[in-house]
Amino acid sequence: MTARFASLKARRALTLYGLLLTPTVFLAFFFLGPLSIMMVYTFLTPGLYGGVEWVFSHLNYGRILGWADTRYDQFDPVYISIFLRSVRLAATTVLTCLVICYPFAFWVARQPERWKNFFIFLITLPFFISLIVRLFAWVLILRPTGFLNQALLGMGVVAQPLDIIFTDMAVVIGMTYVFIPFMFLPLYSSIEKLDGSLIEASQDLGASPLQTFLRVVLPMTLPGIVGGSIIVFIPSLGNFIVPSLLGGARVVMIGNLIEQQFLSARNWPFGAALGMMVMAAVLLLLMIYVRILSREDKQAETQQPKEEETR
Amino acid sequence: MTHTSVRCVVTAVFTVAALTAAPASAKAEGELNLYNWGDYINPEVLTRFTEETGIKVNLDTYGSNEEMLAKIQAGATGYDIVFPSVHMHDIMFQLGLLAKTDIGSDPAFKNIDPQFIRAKTDPNAEYCLPYSWGTVGIVYNQQKVDKMDGWEDFLALADKGEKVILLDDLRETIGIGHIMNGTSVNSTDPEEIKAAADYILERKGNVSAFTYDSVPLVQAGDVAAAHWYVGANIFVKQAPDILAYVIPEEGATMYQEDMCVLKSAPNMDNANRFLRFYLQPEIAALNVKQQLNGTANRAAMEFIPEDIANNETIYPPQDVMDKLQIFEDLGRDLQLYNSEWVRVKTAQ
Repeated sequence: MTARFASLKARRALTLYGLLLTPTVFLAFFFLGPLSIMMVYTFLTPGLYGGVEWVFSHLNYGRILGWADTRYDQFDPVYISIFLRSVRLAATTVLTCLVICYPFAFWVARQPERWKNFFIFLITLPFFISLIVRLFAWVLILRPTGFLNQALLGMGVVAQPLDIIFTDMAVVIGMTYVFIPFMFLPLYSSIEKLDGSLIEASQDLGASPLQTFLRVVLPMTLPGIVGGSIIVFIPSLGNFIVPSLLGGARVVMIGNLIEQQFLSARNWPFGAALGMMVMAAVLLLLMIYVRILSREDKQAETQQPKEEETR
Repeated sequence: MTHTSVRCVVTAVFTVAALTAAPASAKAEGELNLYNWGDYINPEVLTRFTEETGIKVNLDTYGSNEEMLAKIQAGATGYDIVFPSVHMHDIMFQLGLLAKTDIGSDPAFKNIDPQFIRAKTDPNAEYCLPYSWGTVGIVYNQQKVDKMDGWEDFLALADKGEKVILLDDLRETIGIGHIMNGTSVNSTDPEEIKAAADYILERKGNVSAFTYDSVPLVQAGDVAAAHWYVGANIFVKQAPDILAYVIPEEGATMYQEDMCVLKSAPNMDNANRFLRFYLQPEIAALNVKQQLNGTANRAAMEFIPEDIANNETIYPPQDVMDKLQIFEDLGRDLQLYNSEWVRVKTAQ
């Protein structure tokens, strides 16, 4: 009896190891491995023509954070300010995506089944065309003699062509356009699951539309909002192709700076150190997200028994 | 096993066999793999080579010296010939990536103008053949600009409310500052580099973007002028009433690429053959006809159409030539430019 029990236990342990092995190997190979290479590189000296020399250096961080002062490695607050600018542009992109997608997701969720799938298909349709081609199309739309300005001038809305191309605004427009599907899909999945009877109940109990929205709809769609915002924020923060095409490289984001370090500047360690800064910001954000989620779970757990008691 | 799956397996086996056999059989027939800048060789040159020799030419392209070097350093094999700029020619020589071709001792090499043997590491052209060269100047929209002689006019445009575009290239763009300050574009003095960057920075309000994709914007009139290469003449030829190209009177930079054989070339003999093929004046002229840039081959001049040979923006007179500066490899000092470049680009 005990022997059989033990073998069962052993088998369960084996199953557990088996199941855990795949994701562990996957993470080690595709996440931890590259990340540690990058981490090591941040403490090395740049090779003359790219690559690294195996000589320890703390100056790559010193250039960003303030203690570097040699001929080649000088502290410059510009790196932090580029990072902050990227955060600002990425946050603006998240907000714009949210404002566009939230009502739209509600509208799609109210459509007949057939149409729902059609609209979701439409949302994913742009992925079939190369991103570069789509961004060049935006250059044609936004430039002074472009489609948008011609239309506005023709309608008499503006007297002078608007200066949109090669500004922060063009970058936000471009990134919003690129990342809308990433915001829409998580939002839609949480809005579609929204229980209509709860909204009716809140209205029956005398809540105003605003109260219903704030206390019923918003909390229930919050996971979709937070999820979508994070999925949009992370790639926006590191984006370099939109600022270089639509921002005319005049709007420099942290992604452009990193690309420049690896190519024209031939300074891989410094590029890696800048990359670590982005990684740290993203990890911090994800940790906050997980904290919020687990707190919500805990609240849900503690609320449920209470409800049963009162019953 | 069903029929289809059997067929799949059989196909797969044959494909693998074909793939492994391919290099061997290709070698027997003769192949040549070029790794060049995008749109930087007349396709007719390649077809002529294939017609004459039966060697099949494959062309792969890159967008910058750094991209090419990174790929070769990362272990990309299979390429025979690359087209580095002169400073990259020096770097690649020092990294031991180039093969000796003795092209300089070929009898036909006497046609090459010696002023184009520029790489310091290869003074006798034992390795590479000067391929083509050109100036970096200003392309402008004649309907928006009355007078355009140089950088002074270019940067003054903004006072009239017009926009201009500079190249997204740290050496070229800071180089304008050097030219205007009268310092060398290869200066490694931190003070001089800072002054050159400041020159651009003070006028940044006039600059609407740093990009290579500017010619269509100039042509449409979205911007009045842009910092661009002599290749702009291709567009000038298509729209002579709108566009024009000028070499700035204050001085300008020039570029030159050399044709080099890689040490790791799988088709060394064919690569050497191509270098010698390109030494023929007719072939160099054929390339110029489509590329509208400069050749180092003096004997090619008589085969070049007159409108190109007499175009002073493509073949400038010697006094203008003397004012052109070419970039040298700065080694570690490139870092000085890099820091200034970040400062120029991020200033609002």
